Amino acid sequence: MNWFTDRHFFLLAVLCYGLSTGYSVLLWRKGFRKDNRVNYLLLLAGFCLQVTAMSLRGFSLRHCPVNNLFEATMFVGWTMVTAYLVIGLVSKLRFLGAFVSPLLFFLGIFALMPALDPPHGPKPEFSGAGVSLHAAFILQAYGAFGLGAVAGLMYLLQEHDLKFHKLRAIISVLPPIQKLELISMRLLRNGFLLLTVGLGIGAAVMGQHKDGYWSDVKVLWSLLVWAVYLTLLVLRWKFARGGRRFAWGAVAAFAFVVLTFWGTNLLSPLHHQP
Amino acid sequence: MSVVVIGLSHRTSPVAVRERFAFAEAQIPAALAALRDAGVAGEAVILSTCNRVEIYAATALAPAAAFAGLKQFLLAFHQAGGGPEPELYTLAEPESLHHLFKVAGGLDSMVLGETEILGQLKKAYDLALQHRHTGARLNKAFQRAFHTAKHIRTDTNIQRGSISIASVAVELAEKIFSSLAEQEVLVIGAGDTSEKTARALMSRGARGVVFANRSPERAQALAAELGGRAVPFEDWPAQFQGIDIAISSTSAPHYLLDRRRLEPLLKPRGEKPLLLIDIAVPRDIDPEVNYLENVYLYNVDDLQAIAEDHQKSRQAEIARCEAIIAEKVAALLTPPPLNHS
Repeated sequence: MNWFTDRHFFLLAVLCYGLSTGYSVLLWRKGFRKDNRVNYLLLLAGFCLQVTAMSLRGFSLRHCPVNNLFEATMFVGWTMVTAYLVIGLVSKLRFLGAFVSPLLFFLGIFALMPALDPPHGPKPEFSGAGVSLHAAFILQAYGAFGLGAVAGLMYLLQEHDLKFHKLRAIISVLPPIQKLELISMRLLRNGFLLLTVGLGIGAAVMGQHKDGYWSDVKVLWSLLVWAVYLTLLVLRWKFARGGRRFAWGAVAAFAFVVLTFWGTNLLSPLHHQP
Repeated sequence: MSVVVIGLSHRTSPVAVRERFAFAEAQIPAALAALRDAGVAGEAVILSTCNRVEIYAATALAPAAAFAGLKQFLLAFHQAGGGPEPELYTLAEPESLHHLFKVAGGLDSMVLGETEILGQLKKAYDLALQHRHTGARLNKAFQRAFHTAKHIRTDTNIQRGSISIASVAVELAEKIFSSLAEQEVLVIGAGDTSEKTARALMSRGARGVVFANRSPERAQALAAELGGRAVPFEDWPAQFQGIDIAISSTSAPHYLLDRRRLEPLLKPRGEKPLLLIDIAVPRDIDPEVNYLENVYLYNVDDLQAIAEDHQKSRQAEIARCEAIIAEKVAALLTPPPLNHS
């Protein structure tokens, strides 16, 4: 038995995310008073292990590993942890990790379910450079939406503490709410651009050749997600609907994505070929 | 030679006594020279601040003789023989070193954990050093005290959290706004605490300040001093479109600002947060306004509660600081191991 498969490396990465989650709970209970370096290092270790897992999978398939639900979920997690590690270089924003790690842990546990990673046949479910690019852009968009939701959640927590005069608002090392709103907005904007490009590539590559492309459940769902994020951003820019409403919107939209992503994938003949 | 301390501080003497024994900076070199010439001390440092006057001396005399000489010097230098006897404290080793380390760490300060005293102590030491009134004994003691103060500041929470209303208000603003450099402050009623709060916000980089006071002269004087502008008192509602933080401390017997009055003022602001600090008693701002979106209202009790909580947190850190000091003083007093090679 080979103990160093890509799934084993990914399992170790998920364990790091689990440890980080446990540490985050401790930080939460102490009112987020401490610096978050330990969490950053745990997530960095998880990132390295996850990159190893994805590289092993990619080399064995000889293309970008975004061909089934395990790989897609792993890719979303990778996007999130990469973006966090870059953002976390700024010490004041490092606390995002306390909120990112539970999400990464949850995604990791979900991805490890055996049914999501069936053995590849002679040809993967999705193939071709265009399709890989389409999947990579879209999954990166979901990663950005995930981080945007995390920043939104931090905003809601900090805003609630400020509003109700909780001491934690002052003693915690969470960033100011204006900055959290800005981070959330930028992540959603970047995610929206990535999603737009990804959907455009998907339509260009598959729309011409596949029957029923425009009536596929996943395609319709993706357009709905695109419209939801467009609405959120337009409301923010044109009608000054920021603050708490925007943060709730970012959290609710990503919750909708998480809860329906895999279901629509299974219902989509284009994306799931049993 | 051993290190001794004689002095008086806010703990033992009222300001009327402290001011009689205070040294002007220009007097200190001559005082140190006189002290050494009298044979009371081989090395000496004089620390004179608004809260304490202390002489740190390294002396070959027995502590009792040294204290008598130092007391006589203090009374003679300030020609205070005729007044009431000051309550001087006298400390010999190891308590003297323990005291020095506590002073450096802000543990003996009126505002527990404050850092200003460390700067004052460094300045007093530098002055003595420049005029060659220190030697191996005091140099080592003061260097270790400064090092220990740094250790305490970084490894404990003794300096964490604001303990004045003005600095709590600044901390709150920093938890709401990305940068104070883009925020404008409105002061309605220029009382003492609101002035201090405005000063604290300006010192942390606030973009500007507007004063609206019933007495226009005071508003204009403060505006000139802080680089802001004064507006007639009745014009304060018109300022709400451009400001981000409002501090209110008028003596009005009723609410100056309530929900009905604030709601239309918020509309042109969009989603910009608004921090309201109500320092007035009776209150100027109806607590109901806190239920409005993007409005954060804190009254004097809220700010005081935060300041007191920080004070309690600092008190809880004292034992940790004392343990660090005890360890460092013990290390200072332990002679280095003999070299048998």
